[in-house]
Formats: sequence, C-alpha cells, structure tokens
Amino acid sequence: MHPATPPTAGAPAGRSHRTPRRRLLRGLVALAVAAPLVLGAAACGDDDSAGDDGKVKLSIFWWGGEARAKLTEDALALYTKKNPNVTFEKTWQANQGYFDKLATLTAGGNPPDIFQIDDNYLAEYAARNTTLDLTSYSDSGKLDVSKFPKSLWQYGVVDGKLAGLAAGENTQGLVYNKTLLTKNGLPEPTTGMTWEEHIAWAEQVAKKTKIPGTMDPSADYKAFWVWLRQQGKDMYKGTELGFTVEDVTKWFELWKGARDRGATPTPDVIHEGNATDITKQLVVTGKAGTSWVWVNQMPELKKNTKDELGVVAYPGDPSAQWARASMYWSVFKGSKHKDIAVDVLNFLANDPEAVKILGTDRGLPSNLDLRRVVSDDTTDPAMKQSIAVETELAQKFGQSPQVPIKGHSKVRAELIKAAEEAQYGRLAPAAAAALFMDACKSAIA
Amino acid sequence: MALTTVPDPTRRGTGSARAHAPHGVAGRIRQSEGLAGYVFLSPWLIGLMAITAIPMLLSLYLSFTNYDILTPFSEVEWVGFANYERMFTSDPSYWHAVRVTLTFALVAVPLKLAAALGVALLLNRAWRGVGLFRSLFYLPSLLGGSVALAIVWVNMFNRDGAFNSMLALFGIEGKPWVNDPDWALETLMVLAIWQFGAPMVIFLAGLKQVPTELYEAASVDGAGRWRQFRAVTLPMLSPVIFFNLVLETINGFQGFTAAFVLSNGTGGPVDSTLMYTLNLYIKGFTDLEMGYASAMAWVFLIAIGVITAVFFSTGRFWVHYSDGEDR
Repeated sequence: MHPATPPTAGAPAGRSHRTPRRRLLRGLVALAVAAPLVLGAAACGDDDSAGDDGKVKLSIFWWGGEARAKLTEDALALYTKKNPNVTFEKTWQANQGYFDKLATLTAGGNPPDIFQIDDNYLAEYAARNTTLDLTSYSDSGKLDVSKFPKSLWQYGVVDGKLAGLAAGENTQGLVYNKTLLTKNGLPEPTTGMTWEEHIAWAEQVAKKTKIPGTMDPSADYKAFWVWLRQQGKDMYKGTELGFTVEDVTKWFELWKGARDRGATPTPDVIHEGNATDITKQLVVTGKAGTSWVWVNQMPELKKNTKDELGVVAYPGDPSAQWARASMYWSVFKGSKHKDIAVDVLNFLANDPEAVKILGTDRGLPSNLDLRRVVSDDTTDPAMKQSIAVETELAQKFGQSPQVPIKGHSKVRAELIKAAEEAQYGRLAPAAAAALFMDACKSAIA
Repeated sequence: MALTTVPDPTRRGTGSARAHAPHGVAGRIRQSEGLAGYVFLSPWLIGLMAITAIPMLLSLYLSFTNYDILTPFSEVEWVGFANYERMFTSDPSYWHAVRVTLTFALVAVPLKLAAALGVALLLNRAWRGVGLFRSLFYLPSLLGGSVALAIVWVNMFNRDGAFNSMLALFGIEGKPWVNDPDWALETLMVLAIWQFGAPMVIFLAGLKQVPTELYEAASVDGAGRWRQFRAVTLPMLSPVIFFNLVLETINGFQGFTAAFVLSNGTGGPVDSTLMYTLNLYIKGFTDLEMGYASAMAWVFLIAIGVITAVFFSTGRFWVHYSDGEDR
C-alpha cells in the first residue's frame, strides 16, 4: 500500500469521468466482497426478538452427558406444553470447559437466563452479583422451598442472598468394587469404619487381589473436608480457612502411611484418578478397589463397568457429612424475564411430573415429598441403592457447612498440587502442607 | 523466502516489480486503484480491527485493572501496575511457568530444527519414491496443534501405552511418562520435535536453491561431504535457518494445546507442564483473573519481541544473503 494515496472520500467523485466502467466494475466487485461481512456483523447484533407477541424465549445452559440432556429437554418441553408462550434455547456441554464458557458468555454480556452451577463457583458468581437473589421469590412462595430439607436450600445462600436453588441433593460416597471383594472372600467396607480401619482394609485387599484397595484421596477436597469436620474443624470459617497447617500435615501423613503400606495405587495412577472425570474413576478402570465420589454418581459409574458396585459413607463418623446441593439452578440477574425464569426453577423442583422425568440424575430430588415418589418408582438397581444409602445417611447428617467462599476453586487446585507433591515423594507431608497453606492464603485473599 | 527484510537495492526478482512506479498520470490511476484496493482489503481490515487490534488494545487497558470477566466493564477498577508487580514479586507459579516454557523451548526448538534439517538433507536426493517420504514426514505437522493428536500421544505414553509395550519387547520397563512429573514435559518435547514437517519442507526448498555449481567447485577444490556441508550448504541455507529459527522459537513459546490436553487443563502433574500460555489461560478463565492474565499476555508479547529482536541483531553475523545475481 502506497502511503501517498489516502482513501479520501472526495477524490474519486471528482474524477468520475475517468474510466467509469472499470471503476464501477471494481466498486461492485469490492462491494460484493465486503457486503456479506458487514451484513453478517449487523445480523449478529439483533437476536433479542422477545416481547411483542407475548412469546418468551429463555436461554438455559447446563453441563452433563447425553442422558441428562434428554431428561432436561423432556422436562422443559413439559413446561412449554403447560406454558405455550415460553420456549427454551437449550445449550449443554461436558463439565470440562463449562465454567470457562459460562464466564465468557457472562463477559460478552450474553449469559443464559438460567444456568446450572455448583458450590465450586456459586460464591464467585454471587459475590459479583451475577446471580439473581431468589430470597424475595421464596418469601412470596413463587419459589417454593417449603418441602426442601432446610439445610439443603440454605446451602444456596451466599452472604444472606439465595443465589441458587438446589437442583438435587447428594453426599460423599465411597464406591467399591463388590465383585472383586466377594470373588476374593474379602469383607465389604461399612459406614462408620475409622480411617485407620479403612486403610488397613485397603491394604488387605491389595495383598490378596494385587489391586490397591483404595484410591488415595489426599488431593480430594471433599474427602479432606469430611475428615476436617470429624476433627471439629471445617474448610472455611467466615472468610478465613477453617484449618491449620498442622491439620493438613496430619492429613497428608495419614495417606503417606497408606501409600507406604501399599494400600493405594502408585502416584501416577493416583494422578490419573485426580485428573480424570467420572467415567474413568479408578474403581471402574480396575486400578483401585474404591473411589471417592458422590453417592448419586454411583449409577453413572455402574454404566462404565460390568462389576457389581457398592457404596457407603466416607470413613469416620458419618455425621460429618451433610445434605449437599449437588448443583444449583441460578437465574442471571440481568435476565429480561426474571419472573418466568424463577417460575421455571420452581417447576423443575416442585412439579410432580417434571421431577419424575428428571429422576435422580442431578442427585436426589430436593422436594422431599417427590423424592419419596421418585425413589419408589425407580427400577435401576444402582440408582435404588444410591437412594437407599443416601436416605439412610440422611438420618445421620450433621449441619451443612457454609457455601465455599470465593477462591474455592483455586483452593481445590492448590490441594491437588500440594498433595501430588507429597504423593510423588517430592515433598515431605509437612513441607507440602506448608506450601498448600501459603497458596491458600493468596487464593482466598 | 518471505523473511528477507534486509533492504538491498541491488536485489531483483523476488521484490515487487511495481514498487517504484513513476508518478504523473499513472499516479492518478494508482490513486483510484488504491481506493479500490482498500475496499478489497476491507474484509481483512475490518477483521484486523475487530478481531485483533481492538481486543489487543482492550487487553492492554485491562492489564491495568482488576477485571474478573464476570464484573461489567463499567465497574472495573484501575489498579495501576499492581498486576505487573504481582507477576514479578509475589507469584511463584508465574516464574515456575516461565522456567517450564524456557526449558521446553530451549530443548525442543533446536532439536526440532536439527531433525528437520537432517531429514531434509536425506530427502534432497533423487531417489525413487522420495516424494512419498517427503509427504510422510510432513504428515505429522499437518495434524499440527490438533487435540486428537495430543490425546493419541497421551495414550501412547501412558503406563500401559504403546510406547511401553514396545520397550517391553526389549525387556525395558517403561515409566508412566505422561503421568510422571519428571517426564511429562519431555513427552511434550518429543511430540513437538516429531512435528518437524513444516520447517523440513522449508529447508528442502532452501536446499533446492543452492546452486549445484558451488558443490562442483567445492569438490574440484577437494572438499569432502562434511566440508561441503559446512562451507556451502550451511552458509547458503542460513537465511532459511534463520527464518525457521525465529518462527519455531515463537511457536515453541506459544505451545498450549498438547499441554492443555495432557494435563486436563491444569498444567499437572505437579505443574510440570505448566506452560506460560496454559498458566495464562488458567489465570484468566479458571481463576477469573482476566486483568492479571492480560498483564501476563503483554509481558509475554514483549518477551517474545525482545527474543526475536535479539535473533535479528545477531543475524548479521551469521546469516548470509546471496543476492542471486548469478541465477
């Protein structure tokens, strides 16, 4: 491009008598090239067509697999059937990358009206006022949480605001390979076993079957959390950490002991277990006898193995576990159709037909009346078992902890790093614990 | 080669023949052509502005703020140089990522170039079926930064992957390469080196340009193969080596996909594959610290710029541009 020829608007008009046809032709061609681009860009800005005719289109976004997509779409179709003026723009994807996408959508000023979220990010979004405060709706009864266990819906309260509606309930569950144990004449683990007993049991399994009895959960925040609560501590207290470096050291040492005794897999396999999603948990890939998951994930695990699976609470006193909201539905604060969006939330939680369709895919139904109906109707044996275990544990649940604070996802990542430093033997438990504490402090600052 | 930026008025041939058209009537025609040129360019120009220039400037602004993605722009707070300060003074993971990236680039780039040049030399002969081999060696780099390839790689270098099965044939016990913090980065280096096809093709093109007379003259003077390589091939090829070196270094620093796939986006095991760009991505999208991530991106841009400038300033000591007059 020659610098001496700026494209001034007046210049070409003054010389229009010069080679007009060729210039016209050139102009037309150039226009043909440029026009679609400009028009395309204009078309992008105009997608908000709701309103005039009373028709409303709500966007809804969740993570999960195909089974969940099917159930959710069916339940939403039912809502549209009952409310023909409301339709949905449904988007779903795998868990990995979901929150990147959600954040990007929010940044682009185009977040979904309704989105699925978990306790990992709820406080992040609530603290930044991205989620609609549902308190007034639940006060007025438009959002009915009266049939929910109190501790469950309260697990959606952040800074005094109801930021998310529990889409289901779950709790920590230790899933074990029943087939492996019975084949080798080994006892099954039971709820209430101490941590020492669990590790001794796992060692016994490893000796007999050559398969390590248990995954090493030292990098797993939910196992660490249960253990902390059994020590009278907690993950968070207000805006502070609820534990000390001594606690972390003790936790890492407990599992160093287990590794030294051969009760757990080798560090690289543990790392695989730390990094993988639900379908490749070590209990289904046959690399460990037990995996540390959520009770409601049992049926999903069962789909990936031929072996029989069993599920019990994490070791120690089960009252350290709580009715956790497996995930929430939240409404975007800037949504143009807040009231309708909240009504959809209410429908998904309290409409008998919708709850029946959704089943236990997102955890046990939050509405206790409907939970009973759903569990009576279930035919899937794995699901039946997970419901039975969770219902039984529910009798023993302790009080729910506060929703994890802003920075929790970083704390989780730092725990994995520090625990792996210890697992690979690169750091002693005490040094790894000190590293973790330092990292936590800047994570939640 | 597109990289011959050294201005040389004696050059002919590869430069634009129309670069110095006379002014006058022709100048006016050129002016209107210039306008049409801009209109034709407009899709690209609009793209450049909308997709590159504006976001870049915005990220420069954001690097001085506490932008966290979720907060609207209007509520973003100006924090001055706090992000840059944090990077240089109080973020150990930042310097860890810098170390990982430097290690990766310092090992992978020279080896990749050596492999590319070596294979190019082998394939620069008139064998039967040499074309097939050229295609085969080029194939891996066609798959480029693909996610599928990285997934295959991870499975090959697992504890029970194909690579260890092969080692077992020789009675060697393998390691869980990708899941071992001491070996995960090396596995990524091997992947990068294996994809030497693109520089190889460029080397091949460069080798074809070396006049055979020079080799004939050299062999008349009694130079052996090695001497010919050093005295003829290398100097004649130096602009191409320079081009590949600059490009591959920049590529090496920007490695992301394979590290992301191998570590499930975490940089693990134990941060061993925490490349600079991956760390930046985690900070921006997982930790929601987009302001800080923007600052990291700008420091990265400047660092790569400095490294490239250093290459260019040393280039005149070893890069030999033949003027091609005798062609």
